Amino acid sequence: MNPVLRACGVTKVYGGTHALKGVDFAIAAGRVTALFGENGAGKSTLMKILAGIEQPTTGHIELDGTTVRPRSAREAADQGISIIHQELSLCPNLSVQDNLFLAREIRTRGIVDRAAQREATLAVLRRLEEDLDPDRLVGDLRLGQQQIVEIARALLQNARVLIMDEPTSALTAPEVAVLFRIIRELTTSGVAVVYISHHLDEALEIADDVAVLRDGNLVAAGAASEVTLGWIVRHMVGRDPDALFPYRETIVGAPVLSADRVVVADPHNPHRLAVNQVSLTLHEGEIVGVYGLMGSGRTELLETLAGRITPAAGTITLDGSPLGDAGIRRRIAEGIALVPEDRQRDGLVQSMSVGQNLSLAGLSRFVRNLLVTRSAEREAVERTITEVTIKTSGATAAIGSLSGGNQQKVVIGKALLTRPRVLLLDEPSRGVDVGAKADIFELMAAQARRGLSVLFATSEAEEALHIPDRLLVLARGVVVGEYRRGQITREELMSLSDGRVAAPAAQREPAL
Amino acid sequence: MTTQTTLPAKAGHDTATDSATKAHRMSLLNGLFELRAFIALAVLVVVFSLLSDSFLTVTNLITMTKHVAINAIIALGMLLVILKGGIDLSVGSVVGLSGVVAGELLQGLRLGFLDTIAYPPVWAVIVLCVAVGMLVGLVNGVLITRFRVAPFIATLGMLYVARGLALLISNGTTYPRLAGSPELGNTGFGFLGSGRPLGLPTSIWLMAILAAAVALVLIKSPFGRWLYATGGNDRAAELSGVPVRRVKTIVYVVAGGCAAVAGLIIASELTSAAPQAGETYELNAIAAVVIGGAALSGGRGTVRGTLVGAFVIGFLADGLVLLGVSTFWQILIKGAVIVLAVMLDQGQQRFQRRQGALASAAAATKTPSV
Amino acid sequence: MYSSIPRRQALAVVPLVSAALLLGACGSAGDGSTKNEGGKEAGGLIAIITPSADNPFFKAEADAAKAKAESLGYQTSVASHDDDPNKQSELIDTAISRKAKAIILDNAGADASIGPVRKAKDAGIPVFLIDREINATGIATAQIVSNNAQGAQLAAESFVQAMSGKGSYVELVGKESDTNAGVRSKGFTDVISQYPDMKLVAKESANWDQQEAFTKMETILQKNRNIQGVIAGNDTMALGAVAALKAAGLNGKVVVVGFDGSPDAIAAIKAGEMHATALQPAVLGAETAVEQADKFIKTGSTGAPEKQSIDCELVTKDNADQFGVFGRK
Repeated sequence: MNPVLRACGVTKVYGGTHALKGVDFAIAAGRVTALFGENGAGKSTLMKILAGIEQPTTGHIELDGTTVRPRSAREAADQGISIIHQELSLCPNLSVQDNLFLAREIRTRGIVDRAAQREATLAVLRRLEEDLDPDRLVGDLRLGQQQIVEIARALLQNARVLIMDEPTSALTAPEVAVLFRIIRELTTSGVAVVYISHHLDEALEIADDVAVLRDGNLVAAGAASEVTLGWIVRHMVGRDPDALFPYRETIVGAPVLSADRVVVADPHNPHRLAVNQVSLTLHEGEIVGVYGLMGSGRTELLETLAGRITPAAGTITLDGSPLGDAGIRRRIAEGIALVPEDRQRDGLVQSMSVGQNLSLAGLSRFVRNLLVTRSAEREAVERTITEVTIKTSGATAAIGSLSGGNQQKVVIGKALLTRPRVLLLDEPSRGVDVGAKADIFELMAAQARRGLSVLFATSEAEEALHIPDRLLVLARGVVVGEYRRGQITREELMSLSDGRVAAPAAQREPAL
Repeated sequence: MTTQTTLPAKAGHDTATDSATKAHRMSLLNGLFELRAFIALAVLVVVFSLLSDSFLTVTNLITMTKHVAINAIIALGMLLVILKGGIDLSVGSVVGLSGVVAGELLQGLRLGFLDTIAYPPVWAVIVLCVAVGMLVGLVNGVLITRFRVAPFIATLGMLYVARGLALLISNGTTYPRLAGSPELGNTGFGFLGSGRPLGLPTSIWLMAILAAAVALVLIKSPFGRWLYATGGNDRAAELSGVPVRRVKTIVYVVAGGCAAVAGLIIASELTSAAPQAGETYELNAIAAVVIGGAALSGGRGTVRGTLVGAFVIGFLADGLVLLGVSTFWQILIKGAVIVLAVMLDQGQQRFQRRQGALASAAAATKTPSV
Repeated sequence: MYSSIPRRQALAVVPLVSAALLLGACGSAGDGSTKNEGGKEAGGLIAIITPSADNPFFKAEADAAKAKAESLGYQTSVASHDDDPNKQSELIDTAISRKAKAIILDNAGADASIGPVRKAKDAGIPVFLIDREINATGIATAQIVSNNAQGAQLAAESFVQAMSGKGSYVELVGKESDTNAGVRSKGFTDVISQYPDMKLVAKESANWDQQEAFTKMETILQKNRNIQGVIAGNDTMALGAVAALKAAGLNGKVVVVGFDGSPDAIAAIKAGEMHATALQPAVLGAETAVEQADKFIKTGSTGAPEKQSIDCELVTKDNADQFGVFGRK
């Protein structure tokens, strides 16, 4: 096989996070290469580097055997490498046609030739079997239609290499079928396609070659015809999945926090409820899981319990007394701590040190005579660093110097420093490597053993099946099932949570 | 293509000594960057001392520091706002408003219902003026936190409103002779501008006290930590239980108060208060904060840096006057210094990021996956 | 031309003034129309346009013109253009559409104002310029300005006399981009340069601004404490210098001379802090303009040449009591 595009020893470092650790990756012309990996394995980063959106920290890219250094997506596109983004990169305020030709307008004597653009737009939309008015605003389109527009744009650029990062996440089944037909047409004409999807079977179906990324390394590659789904999963996880989730004896104590028919409006869509009549009770020493896909309401549920969101209806009680409209600050004081889902956006202050981040939420503990007692703070911070096993050069290190897993441990440590009785964790294992993942689960178990109530939300089926003592399945804001450990199989869980529910493309995998 | 495991990229060739000297050089360079504002100030002092005999004298240093104090006091308030990631364009107008309010009060309050004129004592005038400044700040803070107006817009609006108020109160005229008179019991206003407790002008003392107070709050108090966290990432701060809205409001209140103090000093120095006083002072204050190494995006900046920034601007201005350089050149040089300082700052951050990324990349490729 | 307010300061008052204008416009539009019907013969409207209402000089000018016009039986509208030529043009448009009988204008720029003035003339409305000239003749019916060069010489002569023709002095210049700052500075130099013992130790621009004059004066004093005189391009800067001299313990020992004749300066002269100032007779200029407008409306001629200059008057301690707000009492 002759690779048209290859990455040679590519590394990428964001702050202290190693998204890629020296990856060699090749794509053949006329074939579909499916790239697999868990969240945070580095798939999106690798694709962004190939598409010129990001530049590698070290290593380089070869196109047809010559080194290229695209400085921007535009430069890469000019060299024949196009990407369809996982997060849509369209301007909602512009029409379909304007988006398709943005910065590539067809010009006649310097004037945009709208007639020609319209012609070309209609042609490419016909090819995609999508009946759209070229003059409609992209913002008025369904998410799936927007995805089609994104694909149409890549087609218009006559790419030789086409990268598709989760292209089907918002498409309906017939639209997926059309997309697959188009992909086949493209490969027949010699285009190399990289295909990334969380739907493993779907990706395996279309793929000619497969490659698996784990923790920033390319750990396996092969022909699609020679591998199985099991082989892919084994390489993605990297070890026997059971080793990640040790058995744990539980002693469940008294009820601590309970929610009664909580209703939360969707902040982005007033006609929708993010959380609809959810009731739950957390006990001392218990780990409760909430399994749900993006848009299921799991984040909103946790943020409501933590006091960030005021519920539209329902009551939340701690030790039997209602919390009312107490805000985050009061609830932290009462013993409820949240580890948010997106640690970069919601969890960490990049401009502060590891120690200052750790003590931020529990700062009031160290205040004497209106001032922060440094010695007490330092001592507590050091203790937490040891307790949650943060690998760092010290409390004064910059937060950016830590790996993703250790950054996540800082966010957890910050919550623990408030001496909580209820620990809420939203996707605590997202975007961290396998080792840190195990540490984090062990930490949750240790806290439960000490009598804390732990509630954690996840979209990873394996975690949901193995970690919690009790699992709530959330779909479209409603609890659709509650199970003890071992009462439900993976297949049942998948169908229950309704994998067909389109995940909003706006929410994205953290680029780690 | 067969199943294979990729090997990590080639390990680094650096010998231990190599990297040691490199690290040494890096830290040295970094240290120079950290000190750049001090270095700029030192260069200014040396150059001006060489060019003018009268520059490096005790009295001139005191006079220049007195001039610096006004901008420094405004800049201390501005620092807090900028640490929050905001901006306050209204402080210059608050300077004018504060002076005008002082002028109005010292001239006597006409109490219509009693048909008499009340002359509040000087301490009350000062307290009221600072309160007026803080009130303008409070309005800024409420506009920004409660009504979600962008800080630039909210404080731009208050820039006009406060200036308009100053003009309305004064009817556009200057209040002359604020010295007060003994028989009315309101003398002593001149102390702020021309008093010299322990041999140093009052404004220098005020600058020192305010700087020490702000530094204490920033470094030692929970509020300081909250402020840095809010400026660094307000979402994370909020989720950590920081009362983000209160923090955001308070910084504008303090900035307004600081500007009012500066306005009082100016009015006292001139023993007259003009409604136009303090025009464009907000820009000088922002410049001082930025030269001092603060990030306009928030979360980064120190009192020490801000003071040095104010000194750089003030010494530069006075030094150029001593040398008799034309006004047009004075303006141009000031602008160049501001841009240069910010460029150095950007350079330092890029440098640090690059070094950090390279170091971790090397570490990652040396130790393969976990 | 009075210029103690730099343009950037005028900017800050725009919203306030426009709000006031709106209010003012509504009010006068109402009473204008009623009176127009009742007493057409009696007068009509005289539009008075000055740079800003928040400056005592322009205020005195506008007030005097308004009072004079009303005493002659005219209605008036008073507005300010904030040194913005565009706004000035709009105000003139308004005056044209309201069929004003005459416009009294303190203009927003010697070149930028030619067009708007011509526009008014073409609409049959005579324009009487006060305080500031334009760079064209034959368009305005009259240009009545105070004599800056004469005033500067008057001030400088008094300055030299008070210093007995010798000693070190400082000159504070107005905003350097303002032509008027140059005219006054040249007027000072023309007189002082005739005295070889007068030594200029520093010449600094203080932007017409009091605080800036204060700061620069303090710095200059660091270089040279042995200063016997300060001559400033306007009274505001002179008063800034007075404050700096006071802070240095030199008050009363230095001859300070200003320009404009502002009430604050006259008070300082009475108090012995300033020696003299050249008073621009704003009131007289404005009144003269209105009188000539009245004559022109009634007879079709002003009976005077287009360009007229009014001499400044020297105010010292001896005659300070005779002067009020920019004019003799």
